[in-house]
Amino acid sequence: MAKTQIIPPDSYPQMVSRSEAARISRALRSQEAIQHGDHVIEETSQSLREGVRGYVRALETVIGDHRQTYEKAHEIRGFAENAGLAATGRIADGLCGYFDEIEKLASEPDIEVIALHVSAIARAAYAEDEAIRMGNMVAKELASLVRHKLDEAKAAAGD
Amino acid sequence: MPGTGLEALKALIVEDNQHMRALLRSLLGSAGMHAVHEAADGSAALNVMATRRCDLILCDLAMKPMDGLEFTREVRHSKTSTNPFVPIIMISGHTEKRRVEAARDAGVTEFLAKPVTAQSLYSRIAEIMERPRAFIRSGSYFGPDRRRKAAENYSGPWRRQDDMHDLEVR
Repeated sequence: MAKTQIIPPDSYPQMVSRSEAARISRALRSQEAIQHGDHVIEETSQSLREGVRGYVRALETVIGDHRQTYEKAHEIRGFAENAGLAATGRIADGLCGYFDEIEKLASEPDIEVIALHVSAIARAAYAEDEAIRMGNMVAKELASLVRHKLDEAKAAAGD
Repeated sequence: MPGTGLEALKALIVEDNQHMRALLRSLLGSAGMHAVHEAADGSAALNVMATRRCDLILCDLAMKPMDGLEFTREVRHSKTSTNPFVPIIMISGHTEKRRVEAARDAGVTEFLAKPVTAQSLYSRIAEIMERPRAFIRSGSYFGPDRRRKAAENYSGPWRRQDDMHDLEVR
């Protein structure tokens, strides 16, 4: 059997020395650094929003291709919130969760469920103010639809 | 923001989404790390690494043609790798358990779920610097110790005996 070799941290190059590490870590964890970083995210949110909308447009063209839909929904889930599109991210998260659960059940995804999510994602991605609250409500409604559909799929798998 | 001490370090961002790359670059810059290389997938990143020093890598998971897992394995295992010990933070919207485990088994140092926050990114970088982990070389694995909570002075039985046969500390 091959030997397992342990290489301790002091035997390979580190990013910084031990004394520097403590100082830099304190600076990185400081409120000042975090607030500054959060401000940077806010500043880039408009350009991120354009990126999310690009993925949304792509998502709308791939309904029916489950693999592509899954990948695009993951991308949207990944950075919609950074773009200030929390409801969009939440609905995309719901769609990703639906795909994950349906895969575990070895069932086919319901095209209606996917289409409803994609439509809601598209609306939420372009929503402003009042409509964002609507987006959150839609996310909740879709989550209960997903639960219902998964219960159906589980019952069918148990038959 | 005043210098954190990261100014002398160089980072590599491997991410196919240009908006996400810009966000990560800005977040690193905000912390003082301004020397940042970018690549849109794993193979482009390997080309960057062949000629540029990289002290830290932020890497997406899902990319084409070479994804983040394959890239990480190349960095850790390839005979031509310029820095097999470089810290790799995988940043992904794919947070299913099997994906996180695949990232860990490929040899990533940290896993960060999108959406990214300043706090989550900075705390991962701080963690890497404050508590660098031992590297393990076994039959099929080379990368940071996956049992990150093991105490250094632990003398009891290992959870996975097969990992620790013929243990050698270099």
